[in-house]
Amino acid sequence: MSDDSNNINLTIDGQQVSVPRGTTVLEAARSIRIDIPTFCWHPKLKPAGSCRICYVEIEKARTLMVSCATDVAPDMVVHTASEKVLQGRKAVLEFMLMNHPLDCPTCDKGGECDLQNLTFKHGVDDSRFDFKKYRHIRDKNSTFDDLRIGSEIIRNQNRCILCYKCVRANKDIFGEQDLGAYQRGNITEINTPPGEQVDSLYSGNLVEICPVGALTNTDWRYKIRVWNTQTVDSVCSYCADGCNLTLWKDKQKIYRATSRRNDNIDEGWICDVGRYGYQVPMAEDRLTTPLIKKGDSQVPATWEEALGLISEKFKKIKDERGGVCIGGLISPNLDSLSLHTFSKFFRMVLNSNNVDFRAGYKMLPEKADDLYSKLTSLPFKISDIEKSDLILVLDSDLTKEHPIVNLRVRKAVTQKNASLFALNPITTQTGGIATDEMVYNIGTLHALLNGLCISLIDQNLTQYENARDLKNKLSPNTIEEASRISGIDVARINSLAKAITEVKNISLIAGELLTSSINREQLSGAIINLCLLAGIFDKGQVGVLSQAANSKGAEKLAVMPHLSERSILKIKQIWDKYPDNDGLALDQMIRSSIKEELDSMFIIGSNLMLEYPDGAVVKEGLEKLDFLVVADICETETTQIADVVLPLSTWVEYDSSFVNLESVEQKFKAAIKPVGFSLPAYQIINKIAQGFKTPLFETIDELIPEIKTLLQPDDSQNSFENCAIEYIEEKQNPEFEIPLLITNELHHFGYFTEKSNSLSNFCSEAFLEISPGLAEKLDVKNGSIIRVESEVGKINLPVKISEYIDNDVVRAYRNFSASPVNILQMRKRNIDRVKLTVVEGT
Amino acid sequence: MEKKILTKYIDDPNQVNIDTYLSHGGYKAFEKALKEMKPSEVIEEVKKSGVRGRGGAGFPAGVKWGFIPKDNPKPRYLVCNGDESEPGTCKDRVLMESDPHGVVEGMAISSFAIGSHLAFIYIRGEFAYPARMMEKAVEEAYEKGYLGKNILGTGYDLDMIVHTGGGAYICGEESSQLNSIEGERGMSRMRPPFPAVAGLYACPTIVNNVETLAAVPFIINNGGDWYASMGTEKSKGTKLFSLSGHVKNPGHYELEMGTPLSVLINDLGGGMLDGHKLKAIIPGGSSTPMLLPDQIDVKLDYESLAEAGSMLGSGAVIVIDERTCMVWVAERLIHFYRHESCGKCTPCRDGTGWLEQLISRIERGEGQPGDIEKIESLCGNIMGRTVCPLGDAAVMPIESSIKLFRDEWEYHIQNKKCMVKSEFAFK
Ligand SMILES: Cc1cc2nc3c(=O)[nH]c(=O)nc-3n(C[C@H](O)[C@H](O)[C@H](O)COP(=O)(O)O)c2cc1C
Ligand code: SF4
Ligand code: SF4
Ligand code: SF4
Ligand code: FES
Repeated sequence: MSDDSNNINLTIDGQQVSVPRGTTVLEAARSIRIDIPTFCWHPKLKPAGSCRICYVEIEKARTLMVSCATDVAPDMVVHTASEKVLQGRKAVLEFMLMNHPLDCPTCDKGGECDLQNLTFKHGVDDSRFDFKKYRHIRDKNSTFDDLRIGSEIIRNQNRCILCYKCVRANKDIFGEQDLGAYQRGNITEINTPPGEQVDSLYSGNLVEICPVGALTNTDWRYKIRVWNTQTVDSVCSYCADGCNLTLWKDKQKIYRATSRRNDNIDEGWICDVGRYGYQVPMAEDRLTTPLIKKGDSQVPATWEEALGLISEKFKKIKDERGGVCIGGLISPNLDSLSLHTFSKFFRMVLNSNNVDFRAGYKMLPEKADDLYSKLTSLPFKISDIEKSDLILVLDSDLTKEHPIVNLRVRKAVTQKNASLFALNPITTQTGGIATDEMVYNIGTLHALLNGLCISLIDQNLTQYENARDLKNKLSPNTIEEASRISGIDVARINSLAKAITEVKNISLIAGELLTSSINREQLSGAIINLCLLAGIFDKGQVGVLSQAANSKGAEKLAVMPHLSERSILKIKQIWDKYPDNDGLALDQMIRSSIKEELDSMFIIGSNLMLEYPDGAVVKEGLEKLDFLVVADICETETTQIADVVLPLSTWVEYDSSFVNLESVEQKFKAAIKPVGFSLPAYQIINKIAQGFKTPLFETIDELIPEIKTLLQPDDSQNSFENCAIEYIEEKQNPEFEIPLLITNELHHFGYFTEKSNSLSNFCSEAFLEISPGLAEKLDVKNGSIIRVESEVGKINLPVKISEYIDNDVVRAYRNFSASPVNILQMRKRNIDRVKLTVVEGT
Repeated sequence: MEKKILTKYIDDPNQVNIDTYLSHGGYKAFEKALKEMKPSEVIEEVKKSGVRGRGGAGFPAGVKWGFIPKDNPKPRYLVCNGDESEPGTCKDRVLMESDPHGVVEGMAISSFAIGSHLAFIYIRGEFAYPARMMEKAVEEAYEKGYLGKNILGTGYDLDMIVHTGGGAYICGEESSQLNSIEGERGMSRMRPPFPAVAGLYACPTIVNNVETLAAVPFIINNGGDWYASMGTEKSKGTKLFSLSGHVKNPGHYELEMGTPLSVLINDLGGGMLDGHKLKAIIPGGSSTPMLLPDQIDVKLDYESLAEAGSMLGSGAVIVIDERTCMVWVAERLIHFYRHESCGKCTPCRDGTGWLEQLISRIERGEGQPGDIEKIESLCGNIMGRTVCPLGDAAVMPIESSIKLFRDEWEYHIQNKKCMVKSEFAFK
């Protein structure tokens, strides 16, 4: 009997169980710890029912049923281990093993193969198949039938059990078309379309999902057997999504990273940057000892020498000119202990607020409580995206910036019927599944948002009481004008306005282009207006997403010069004091250095020379410093000009935490010991503080409650007021008219991932992405070399023609130290513009 | 003898033209349905007629139409299954190439009944000529206003798309067919959900065979009762039979349900070719169990054939004479099914491969003792254990061949040669 309409009672192997309607028999059985084997089932994929290993016997059913694809029904009586079931399972294994090569001793999956494990458990030892096994031969001269189907993926079709998990995940979850099944029946093979490769950002998941050794990763292949490794719980150190990882290591070497499924965040998927990013700490050329500049060269030194020199210099500057003459920059890819210690050192030891983490931003705000910070402090949950009926993505190429948020958006749209609107200056992959992807004229998003606000007001779609008042504060203030400026039809703006008002739950997501823009404040204000008019603050979530693994942590841990009253209160609460001077944001530090007001900088983990969006200015600024200390994991353009270089440990070498874009703190564990004489940043900082006779901690445990206090969510409600938004066209030099976007390349994050062999196999060289139209106009092909020239710099780049780019924009990537594209940028320009000259056609 | 209803004008070469079709009373039924009936009344009439699916499974068409959920706001689709790839079957082809407007009209009425505004006809890739005829008919129907917007001023809109396949038997199976129309690989889907609930593009979809839909105009014109007055208690109306094999006059014949098999083979088919003796009959397409000569008087209807241990299936009657080796027949059939398995599920995909290897070694005279038992065991591991019925279809004729002609199989293994032929077909 069923107690209520939503729960169903049934009997499995004599046990009563009550589960929600819609549960499969498999899930019901597993909920009471009855194990049913599976191959083709996956918790995040629609059941396919192909492998047939999960048979159960259901009373009154004529045949064996597959439990993974059979929903429970009231009063069902299920047997999971009856003679018939066991016979059925054996038969399936017998079929699977017919043509399986049984090359377990040379197969990388050995030890963690579902087929191997289930065969030991259920199979028959003696095969009745007495024919020669079928071989999918790739190359008659080779003993092995391996085929590379992606940069990092090798396929051995003979081992494949055709569960189709790889193909299903690739299409249904990742939205990719580059893997399919070819041929038919028992000669079916998993392959790419002719001439293509599985090279999406999610490709490594296909290997992880394969239950057998049919798909293997080049990084793990033939290096070690799984039973000789130990696993360590880790967290990805690249983007702000915060995927949970398992690192597989032996002694001082890490062999691979896999997903450690966290349904709140990653749902068991990770991007390739996270998967292969562990290779960065494994790089050959890690810095292993401190270096001190002597004349023209940097010579190895002991920690004592290096720390002694730093303490002496910093002390001298502090005593003579004040702690405010030292600036601090720390990478947001560093852990919470380090970020916190850094802020503590500057504020408590140097009595200075000159700390920052925002190396790649243009024109940082010079006061606290800006609109942008107000927006970024709103709560946002990745898992709530799928509760939305409508998702609005602004200024973000989500796949590249937030691969896992992107998957959640895809899920909401493709599995939960949410509608998606993407507003970007270029076409994006995510936009491919949008109801409407509005590709607006670059730099005009706030005009477009004004148009949307006016549309809501004019169509009487808003309940906001100050709507009329707000309308008067907008420029442009007609929808036609907004449409003209942005290049988006009035009708499209109106229908988006309608769609927004018709739904119950909205997720608004904004990304890097907004965050790094000079117009950050105006854009934030325009978003606030839209949210007020459409009631989005009350019916959904707004996520202006932070970028790096610990950017959110850096914000919350106050690694910024200008803090809100609330943060200052918290700091006073934990440290009893707060420097009463105005701090410098990174931008200001560099300018102060040029003006010779700042004497010294302490940079940790940031290659500022390449990251700062104005190559000329940063060079001048850093070169003018009297004393530059840089701690990093490898030599960089920035360590090269430092007076003291300190070897930094990576996140796999110590225990700490990252705070992801949802403000969730996630702890990770050390997998290996610090490489060489390197040290975690928090230890380096503390050792310098010890030189001042003011250690920041005796043991790390003392820092934990401080960090906890700072990370605590603010319960005070933010109230928002409408804002005046004015679009002003940026003046441009007519000679340089092509807008240039600079972002991360698909398989790279920041400037260190080129040290990962796997990631470099996907892409190892900078290039300029241009539209097919522009390519035709310039008469260039893929690979042609183009001189890209701005008012301040020039660089030669090979061309790649891309369908994602619209006519008048080009895109370059910041991840390759051989091609420092930031020399093209100007810190005061909202849109960097260039001219292109063909150097070498092909 | 023959009862020509669907095939009445099949021999008129002008029937493919809409004017001729109209002069024979064409599109009257559609007009009647649109102007005088509610969709539910059309469904009622079809239910009353008792017409059952002619694609093989024999499911009552009207009942299937009733499975479309009433409260689903998504669009609905009708798919007419013209994939006709079962060996021996050649009836839909005749209708599509010789009376294409009959198919279009049947699809149009059925679309109206189920509330669909987009109908597809899926035609197997090799049927280039029938596809051309269907395309022409659809074009003419648009021109004359029987398709398109506001049909006959009734406000009903209907579009029709002729879709050709790539030549895979599995694309006749309805869920693979839907995948194929969507541009996916032709592979069967798990059920539930059934297409009527979530079919093409996850919308409610009705898939019916060409012959099923072609019967609909006659039911609407003459009433469900009229149709039900023909045939037997559970098998109403007429059915097209495709007669092939060792008979004098192979071809297609439309018979009233319940006509004895002997009438088809001997009276219409002209008896056995060259006076040879009858050995076995496959009565309903290559996937149905065989009958023996003493069963030749069985009536051709769903229930009688079931009672005789076989199935009416698609109505393809294959006649086999004494010169034929039954192991060889099984080998030909398993070769076909192995080749056509879509590869989705393990028992069919790997099982058919293994069976083909075993059967062909027996056929070659290399069979081992125990092979027959092994085949039977493998058949048991496939039967009823697959995603779609292709797995069952593959094993049924083999099981029946072994059951009825075990001595031939054993002879092959023991004597390493064939009982009926002096030479092996494949050496
Ligand atoms: C392997 C396989 C092949 C099939 N081929 C056809 C076919 O060629 N034509 C057809 O109408 N039905 C075919 N069917 C049956 C369809 O799946 C479906 O039941 C039928 O089209 C429904 O129409 P009906 O109810 O009018 O018979 C096939 C089924 C299977 C399992
Ligand atoms: S390659 Fe692996 S995941 Fe893909 S179908 Fe084969 S066994 Fe399954
Ligand atoms: S880079 Fe981002 S999306 Fe990729 S694995 Fe790391 S946290 Fe996840
Ligand atoms: S039974 Fe055969 S044809 Fe049908 S789904 Fe399984 S493998 Fe495909
Ligand atoms: S796990 Fe159920 S059929 Fe594969």
